[in-house]
Amino acid sequence: MKRRGFLSGVVVLPVAGRVGKAFAQTEPKRGRVKLELPVLADNGNSVPMKVRVESPMSEADHVKSIRLLSERNPEREMAVFHLGPRAGAAEISTRVRLAGSQVVTAIAEMSDGSQWMDSAHVQVTLSACVDGS
Amino acid sequence: MTTRREFLKISAAVGGGLTVGFHVPFAAAQQQVLTPEINAWVLVRPDDRVIIRYARSEMGQGSMTSAAQLVAEELGCDWKKVQVEYADTNAQVRRKRVWGDMASVGSRTIRFSQEYLRKGGAQAREMLVAAAAQGWRVKPSQCRVANGVISGPGGRKTTFGKVATAAAKMTPPQEVALKDPKDWTIAGKPIPRIEIPDIVTARIRYGIDAHLPGMAYAAIAQCPVFGGKVKSVDAAAIQGRRGILKVLPLGDYVAVVADNWWRAKEALKALPIDWDFGPNASVSSETIKQLLRAGLDADSDVVVAKNAGDVAQALKGAPVIEAEYYTPYLAHVTMEPMGCAALVKEGRVDIWTSTQNAEASHAAAAATAGVPLENVYVHRTQLGGGFGRRGGAQDFVRQGVQIAKAMEGTPVKMLWTREEDMQHDFYRPVSMVRFRAALGADGNPVALYSRVSAPSIIATLLKLPLKDGIDPQAVAAIADQPYQIANVRMEYAQRNPPVPVGFWRTVGHSQNPFMRESFIDELAHAAGKDAYAYRRALLPESSRERRILDATAKAAGWGSPLPKGVHRGIAVTEGYGSYTSAVCELSVSDKQEVSIRRLVLGVDPGHAVNPDNILAQMQGSAVFMLTAMFWGEITIKDGRVEQSNFNDHRVMRLAEMPKVELVLAPTGGFWGGIGEPGQASIAPAVCNALFAATGKRIRALPLRNEGFELA
Repeated sequence: MKRRGFLSGVVVLPVAGRVGKAFAQTEPKRGRVKLELPVLADNGNSVPMKVRVESPMSEADHVKSIRLLSERNPEREMAVFHLGPRAGAAEISTRVRLAGSQVVTAIAEMSDGSQWMDSAHVQVTLSACVDGS
Repeated sequence: MTTRREFLKISAAVGGGLTVGFHVPFAAAQQQVLTPEINAWVLVRPDDRVIIRYARSEMGQGSMTSAAQLVAEELGCDWKKVQVEYADTNAQVRRKRVWGDMASVGSRTIRFSQEYLRKGGAQAREMLVAAAAQGWRVKPSQCRVANGVISGPGGRKTTFGKVATAAAKMTPPQEVALKDPKDWTIAGKPIPRIEIPDIVTARIRYGIDAHLPGMAYAAIAQCPVFGGKVKSVDAAAIQGRRGILKVLPLGDYVAVVADNWWRAKEALKALPIDWDFGPNASVSSETIKQLLRAGLDADSDVVVAKNAGDVAQALKGAPVIEAEYYTPYLAHVTMEPMGCAALVKEGRVDIWTSTQNAEASHAAAAATAGVPLENVYVHRTQLGGGFGRRGGAQDFVRQGVQIAKAMEGTPVKMLWTREEDMQHDFYRPVSMVRFRAALGADGNPVALYSRVSAPSIIATLLKLPLKDGIDPQAVAAIADQPYQIANVRMEYAQRNPPVPVGFWRTVGHSQNPFMRESFIDELAHAAGKDAYAYRRALLPESSRERRILDATAKAAGWGSPLPKGVHRGIAVTEGYGSYTSAVCELSVSDKQEVSIRRLVLGVDPGHAVNPDNILAQMQGSAVFMLTAMFWGEITIKDGRVEQSNFNDHRVMRLAEMPKVELVLAPTGGFWGGIGEPGQASIAPAVCNALFAATGKRIRALPLRNEGFELA
């Protein structure tokens, strides 16, 4: 899918809520979401990532939102992507800034209210000299 | 007379008792094929030789041996049959980081990986035993392991090598019991470092030794002013010089590639480069000091790192003792300057470099070349010194790959000159600290105020957000000072002059304990008390600082009469999870020449995995710190570093080295580091002895600037 076509169906809103909000509803289940992150990142300032969600993206059954959560960033909720059936495919790719090595989690909320998630560990090699990285 | 050839034959025979080998990294890849891998850490050959993988780096800190000792201990193999090889970064990426952290930084190898290394060895042992038991149709619990031999009921015996193939197919046990360190037979022993024979016989390969067929060579010049850029180069000026292959202006540096390195370097010297020096061309050591001094006095952009009691109130109405301390920028000056050989070809990148963090080099190479992580191969070598220069910053890898990319298909070895290395380092941060204290009627401090004005490595090099605005390295050993003082306030003014800073061996503990322990000495002196007794009374009775202080003072004979003109100094601190103390005995001639008579260094690292290596690290710490404290200083003029090579950057010479007496006092129950903590107590112990000898309080380093020289 071309970036332009992909963007037309997605509205990116500035992050407002805290991480608690994402977990306020039903506990997300593992599955349906595929989060791709490099195992190693040379630079935490710009880490490429991709999230794909299995969904027909129809009026009746689609992904409403995808949240990106950081374990270590000062702002735990890094981004929220709002999608609709017109997005065509439930797929986003972006670059995120990461404050060191950590687990990143993507949570998708479906039109039926169910939540699905995937997480991945990324080693930000630049931060290797800091204790606890 | 014995000729060299005969001598080598004899020593080979005599030294044959320890046949521990060391893989030349360039050849390592092929040798794994026939060797069953029991798990990520242990491979066993049919001839019973055991290969233990080592994930971090070896730069003289000895962890390659110590880490292998921990694996071998639990494995129960014959140490004489152990070989060590580097874990491969490409496999690491493909195998979900099975070897964990690969960085040799922060004195971490033992303290952060001891548990999984020991488990790796124990798990492999149980798989080997399970394979033998299965073959004999007995229970694994009926079998015993010693020296790589498995014994079963009825006198059955087999060796690791014979069951290795079967063991490799066993399911790894989930839970394994680890030995109590008091039962160790391989770990805890002063085993000689495994790579030493290869260093002595010149078989070892450093990054600088990389050699590939058809290789080209690159020399580089970076903008002399920090933050500057290349405007233009006049490549025509060096056209027609022999062997020149390419002139590459690459943003903030210029590379010349030639058929040999000297030609590249000489052409670069002759190449007219027009630099845009940017905004920092007027920065000098003086302007940097002004910035830091302003940080000491500032009311804004200051954070409180620690606050207990009411310092302001306690300082009122009591006579206040105040002092300011200063430590300069320091360069790493590794014996092997920065460099990286690289080949970029058909979407694959191979690099050969001395790195403290092979994973970081791997990631930097992939990012620079724009290839997936799976297409990068890091060929690991021994480091010709690291000291923190080759860990956090991977500038040399980026440059090596950038140049090789411009020479696609041709391997290129990029090598810095010594001058380039000294003038484009990531320096130990400059630092200024102000202390204020008030003493109670008993002479003990009732209040301690301190403010650190210094750059932040974490904010500037790593560009990571600081928790509560505090760089823990900048305030190390001050914010967490161990003395029982009722009112304590510690502030941090982050001030970042335009000079790149990085992790220099011992990092914050390379300067802050000097400042803190010297100031405590000032307080003891003001109170008219003995420097050792004063500290001891202020330390909690059960503290590890007090234990190592006691052990070191006792070994040094603190309080016993000294020859005329000889004086003592003492210091203690925590650092990298270990506890160190130092006692220095010295005399000073009327020409201010300092003769160090004794240097007693105490350390409690919790567990001592290799006592001989601990001694080596403490000796090395003395070389490094005495060099820094007598002569070490990087000064800035017109935005550039003034020092360039060993003619103007003095290091300690062999004959100047005092004898180091080690007090190794491991008390168990915790795991501390050893590569860095040794330095922390040395400078204050020496400077406190200098005060005892001369009455002159040293509040700024290096000592050369205070008129002192090492005799």
